[in-house]
Amino acid sequence: MTASPFAVDALRQASGAAPSSTGNGNISSSSSTQRPGPGSATLDLVEQMNEDEKKKYVKGKKLGEGTYANVYLGHARHDPSLLVAIKKIKVQKEYRDGMAPDAVRELTHLQELRHPNIISLLSAFSSKDQNLNLVLEFLPLGDLEMLIRDVDRVRYGAPDIKAWMGMLTRAVWFCHDNYVLHRDIKPNNLLIAADGEVKLADFGLARGFADPGQRMTANVITRWYRPPELLYGARHYSGAVDVWSVGTVFAELIIRTPYLPGDNDIEMVRLISRAIGTPTEDNWPGVTKLREYTIPIEVTPVADKATYMNRFGSVGPEGVDLLMRTLILDPRKRITAREMLEHKWWRTDPRPSRKEDLPRKSGGEEKVAADLKRRPGVVDEEGKAKVARKLDFGGALGGGK
Amino acid sequence: MATEDVRYRQSSQYRLWSFSPSKLASMRETTNALARASISERMLASNSLPASNNPSAPTSGVNTPEPDGATPTPTPTLPEFLTPAEELMLVTLYTSELLRAGEHMGLTDEITSTAAALFRRFYITNSIMTYPPKDMIVVSLFFGCKAEGTFPSVDHFVKALHKKGPEEILAGEFLLCQSVRFALDVKHPFRALKGATMELRRYGDIEQSRIEEAERHAREILRFSPHMTDAYFHYTPSQIMLAALSLADRGLAERLIQATFHYVAPSTSNDSDTPMANSDVGTKEARREAKAGEDQAAIIGSYVRDKVLGTIEACRDMLSKELPDRKDHWSSIAVFKVQFRPTTRKLTKCHDPDRWDLVALQRRRREQVMDKADSEDGDPEARAGTGTAAKATVDSDAAVFGGALEPRDNKRRKVLDDPFGGPL
Repeated sequence: MTASPFAVDALRQASGAAPSSTGNGNISSSSSTQRPGPGSATLDLVEQMNEDEKKKYVKGKKLGEGTYANVYLGHARHDPSLLVAIKKIKVQKEYRDGMAPDAVRELTHLQELRHPNIISLLSAFSSKDQNLNLVLEFLPLGDLEMLIRDVDRVRYGAPDIKAWMGMLTRAVWFCHDNYVLHRDIKPNNLLIAADGEVKLADFGLARGFADPGQRMTANVITRWYRPPELLYGARHYSGAVDVWSVGTVFAELIIRTPYLPGDNDIEMVRLISRAIGTPTEDNWPGVTKLREYTIPIEVTPVADKATYMNRFGSVGPEGVDLLMRTLILDPRKRITAREMLEHKWWRTDPRPSRKEDLPRKSGGEEKVAADLKRRPGVVDEEGKAKVARKLDFGGALGGGK
Repeated sequence: MATEDVRYRQSSQYRLWSFSPSKLASMRETTNALARASISERMLASNSLPASNNPSAPTSGVNTPEPDGATPTPTPTLPEFLTPAEELMLVTLYTSELLRAGEHMGLTDEITSTAAALFRRFYITNSIMTYPPKDMIVVSLFFGCKAEGTFPSVDHFVKALHKKGPEEILAGEFLLCQSVRFALDVKHPFRALKGATMELRRYGDIEQSRIEEAERHAREILRFSPHMTDAYFHYTPSQIMLAALSLADRGLAERLIQATFHYVAPSTSNDSDTPMANSDVGTKEARREAKAGEDQAAIIGSYVRDKVLGTIEACRDMLSKELPDRKDHWSSIAVFKVQFRPTTRKLTKCHDPDRWDLVALQRRRREQVMDKADSEDGDPEARAGTGTAAKATVDSDAAVFGGALEPRDNKRRKVLDDPFGGPL
């Protein structure tokens, strides 16, 4: 893969053009053709490496423009059939402290995470205006949200759900196993490759969690997919937050509408309380101590399996069992991503669909662009108020250390 | 265990920032040579050379390339440049300053260590004669926070480190990011140390106080010695940890290694080492067992153990050259005067005339982009046809940077020697 640009290579190339310490000393050969200008455009080693990286790809038409990034179609110079999406991160004016957190996070984590179910970062380079460009694999078939919403034209069943859930769960397990929390799992961050493979994308809210003592912000994960501990303002949390999101995506895949579409945090707590159960000291020891815990007006007992079977029975009793475990209120009791992979649902009939048999629709490039240029943590509340509700992740994170 | 190794090999720290000692040395030489060349050129172009008020400036020889007619002999006015060895010495000096600043600001060990690693990476691809190390210390600390997932306000840094303004820090941020090849995740040995002490406790027969003392001492080493040497470029976090533990308490480190690589082949299969010779082993199970034994031996057998011991010994030697008791050496004014001042003086005379001021450089670069009026960033398709438009954009980009460089896409192959001595 083209994923590994090596400094060594660039250096070696560079040393060919420049005098080595014992060389013949033709100093100006490397830069004699430079136009002298206001900034003196002589090519530094770093600039040259960057140029090398940049020139591996040909930037094509703009697929979309957003507040956070512009997205271009591109292809590898050596192989025009190798399509890429070039995501050019815009300088964010409202963030005064340099490179914005989402760009840093996306870059940091995608550089490290290589997995078939995680979008791959092929390269990164800077354009002359000092903007960061991320070269990502091109995933032309849209996202899971498109498939979920197109009720009229897209039909799918339990085997398909099982296949998609399998891919999502593997991606999340891999993140957690590498001590990374994604913190924004939702259907439109699950992109679909040309071969049907689902890929987790958008690591703009991700963070490492190797140090258990560190405080983290509770203001993450798009609201409908946000677990109760975050709604209650927990500052110490774990992979369980992502698992809850996976559970709500699972539910949404089955019922084909968002499972817990709350308009605000208070409504979210109410919806969770009604659908899943009211968090109490009995089912979740310690919950009343969380910073933003509110005493419930009415207490609904935790939903039993029969209740779930009524609504989610199409994935069978094992599937419902897995769903229920992902939606356990107490994060400490919630199933982990690894345990999810060991669940018996995967091994009970029906078998998951093969990738090539999964339903798809030609997502169109617009959708690719829409997915990549979006700011993390934003709900596209279609059919609701057109105003995207966005997380205040910039400033809120500033204080936390 | 093998899988953890595979995973480490996927990390940017291994892929992009691990080198054999000879490779690292040649990179430093290349960077130094390039810097001399371009700084000479820029000095000559801008006439910013001090009018030979430098009596020690050489007229020819070691520090300037041979004038062989191709260059119009500007040598007499050029300053004396730093050698790669002098550059490395100064990078190490400023790394010690960075570590002190991190401590002064109360940053976590991880953040300060990340900052130090980024700083040292920065000065592999850049010469200390090109960009100012004192500014890059602050940039590295600031960006180290971000890379570790905390996003401090730049004003906090301005105040804590007595800077003039936020621009001074922000101007170098993108430069740093680009110079470290956008690889921001740095893997440290601290967590490995926690794991090792938990493991030592689990053995149950080692005095608690001994473990605690070793951990404390090893941690102190890890905060200093690996950054003051090239350890991060050559060794994995766990190797660095074991080397530090070995310096703190050799017995404990060896115990840990012996216990980990404990596999001893069952005596029956000892007579034949090659799998071929095992063909006479009758049953499938026996063969499978033999195969499993080989696998085990390949992962935790004595051969691997000896290899690991050798690697750790080498890392230990490296760390032992910069133990924490050398802190005083690096911060001593008396030592500075004798050992470093001549070189820092030299640096003030030979640094890059165009790039030393990061704020001005950043401003110039912005203006340049403004001049170009987003010829690059507009949608190429909107401006012209389709395929050719893209090509035109790229070509014009190339022109700005002085024409096409080398034929692209010559297959990049991985040229790292394996400095880690195979899978653990």
